Amino acid sequence: MADLEIRNLHVRVEDREILKGVDLDVSKGEIHALMGPNGSGKSTLASTIMGHPSYEVTEGTITFRGEDITEADPEDRAHAGLFLAFQYPVAIPGVSVANFLRMAINTSREDPINVKDFRKRLQHAVDLLDVDRSFTSRHLNDGFSGGEKKRAEILQMAMLQPEVAVLDETDSGLDIDALRTVAEGVNKLHGELGMGALIITHYQRILHYVTPQFVHVMMDGRIVIEGGEELVERLEREGYDPIREEVGARA
Amino acid sequence: MPDGVATKAPPVKPGAHREAVLYRALNGAGAGPAPVEELRERAREAYERLELPTWRRSGFWTTSLRDLDLDALTERTYAPGGPLPAAVAEGLPRGDVAGRLVQHGSTVIRAELDPELRERGVVLCALDEAPPELVERWLMSRLPLDRDKLEAASAALWSGGAFLYVPPGVVVDKPFDVVYAIDEPGTAQYGHTLAVGDEGSDFRLRHFKLAPDLDGPALHAGQVELYLEANARCRFAPVQDWGGGSVVDVSTQVVRVGRDAYVHWLPSYLGGSLSRQHLELAVAEPGGDMAFRGVFFAERDEHLDLFAVDLHETGPSGGDVHWRGAATGQAKASFEGLIQINPGAQQSHTYLQIHTMMLSPRAKVDAIPSVLVSADDVSASHGGTVGELDEALIFYMRSRGLSRAEAVHVIVEGFFEPLIGELEDEGLEELVRDKIGEKLQAAAADVEAYAAAR
Repeated sequence: MADLEIRNLHVRVEDREILKGVDLDVSKGEIHALMGPNGSGKSTLASTIMGHPSYEVTEGTITFRGEDITEADPEDRAHAGLFLAFQYPVAIPGVSVANFLRMAINTSREDPINVKDFRKRLQHAVDLLDVDRSFTSRHLNDGFSGGEKKRAEILQMAMLQPEVAVLDETDSGLDIDALRTVAEGVNKLHGELGMGALIITHYQRILHYVTPQFVHVMMDGRIVIEGGEELVERLEREGYDPIREEVGARA
Repeated sequence: MPDGVATKAPPVKPGAHREAVLYRALNGAGAGPAPVEELRERAREAYERLELPTWRRSGFWTTSLRDLDLDALTERTYAPGGPLPAAVAEGLPRGDVAGRLVQHGSTVIRAELDPELRERGVVLCALDEAPPELVERWLMSRLPLDRDKLEAASAALWSGGAFLYVPPGVVVDKPFDVVYAIDEPGTAQYGHTLAVGDEGSDFRLRHFKLAPDLDGPALHAGQVELYLEANARCRFAPVQDWGGGSVVDVSTQVVRVGRDAYVHWLPSYLGGSLSRQHLELAVAEPGGDMAFRGVFFAERDEHLDLFAVDLHETGPSGGDVHWRGAATGQAKASFEGLIQINPGAQQSHTYLQIHTMMLSPRAKVDAIPSVLVSADDVSASHGGTVGELDEALIFYMRSRGLSRAEAVHVIVEGFFEPLIGELEDEGLEELVRDKIGEKLQAAAADVEAYAAAR
């Protein structure tokens, strides 16, 4: 049984069905890539996994480590060990990165984390992400550049140490240095803590730095083809059109 | 008026609100300076003649005290040196002070001052015991006494009161506290604070108005005047927290900034069932500068009417007005900010911003900036935002493990933080933050219902 199991998931947003029966398994220690053209439903899946209130599950289930979390609150999913790196992280004016992280960590603990342990973990994450220490005293995402926001997402991931992380187009809009940093962050957390990851991407670039064991392609609200690393190469060569035609022919 | 004849009204910038003429600046008009008894006599006469007030602003905002039953309220006296009311004992920030004066009802029950400061000429005492030669130089020189019955009542009937005088060149780090406390329903309290920072002085003044959750009506009508002479600097932090009872507060506070003087004025309005506040900051001499801040949080069915004036009488002068307010429950809050630049006040530069946040579908917050400019070599502008809770932000925080209530708390605290941080007073910052946190907690169900409805 996989840690994260998605079965026949149908999701509606404002009376439009976006996901039309998605099945997907992601376990700790596995790296998955979910690819697909714009508008295919990738980000909807990411938000639904995390429990966004605007996304209505009309059919199917999401199970995490044996618990049905289809209707669970986002904070309960976080406490269970799920993490979402946002495509468009929002700014929290007036709250520093460090203070926010301390708050977030403490929500899943009986006693607040002690100062020394927190500092150690923060320093480790800061080194991993190759950011300046002063970064953590800035207000979270407030006035951050695109690259800084994505680094801040990975920094949070490193601090919260999830079992399975969903990265929603974390690679889009990044220059090559930032992209490499983000990828290294994922690789290290995967290697050190055995974190599982679902990397959602429109491009192939990030997959040159993070090697997925499983690749899924989504079109029009369904996963239409699955495979290994070779699928990335095929997409790079041919684009989405041949797959679209194949799927169309099968339908 | 015949066609083609220009009016004498000062030029009004496009977009300025005509309502500015209804909520009018005092513009330096004062009943004094004059001896105390003379002012009282004139005020008594006005009190007999005047009606209880109603303030209107072009139909959609009314603050009325017509229903106030003055006969049901009495002035109460207490034993000087007697016990501190609980609201004072528990409601003041931690930390040392340079001096503290407490008026309980109509009696000044404490007037403590660091002896070393007393030796250097600092005065902190009841206004009715203050040296007349000092008091009469300033008393009511910028405060009128006959705009309405409650103003006249306050000017005629005040007892106790607070007087602070900081002599030339005296610099004091620790704050001076002036506290007005009501702790029995049926109390009428008339307060009067006169504070003077003489040339080159530098000090902090905190001004508290406190009550517990009273079971019955009470009234505070008060006047505060702060004069900063040449080169003086003051951080002035009033805090109003009348608790959850029905306390009516009608007050006027004026600050006069002299030549090259500076004030940082940051009031916090944290509770009062019906409040009408006229706050006026006048940069009266060249080189004067100021930061005029304010926070308010209205809850339940509170009615808060704030009129803040940024007045420039001469130039060059600077101004920077920045207010933030939120409302829950069925509270109604109105903030009108008037920038007035008088004729000849050239090279005055000022900016007013007001940000509000609605936390309940039944709460109402009006934020009205207005500008009256009568000089041409000046800059005066305003801006602001009206906000609601951002669901995207809440989801973001929940995805990191925070509960919805925790996320709302973070957002609201972050909203006020730019101003609270400016208090530069750890104890007071903590007090204001905690108060806002308590109010959010009390309104949690309301905030939740609002989110569900949207």
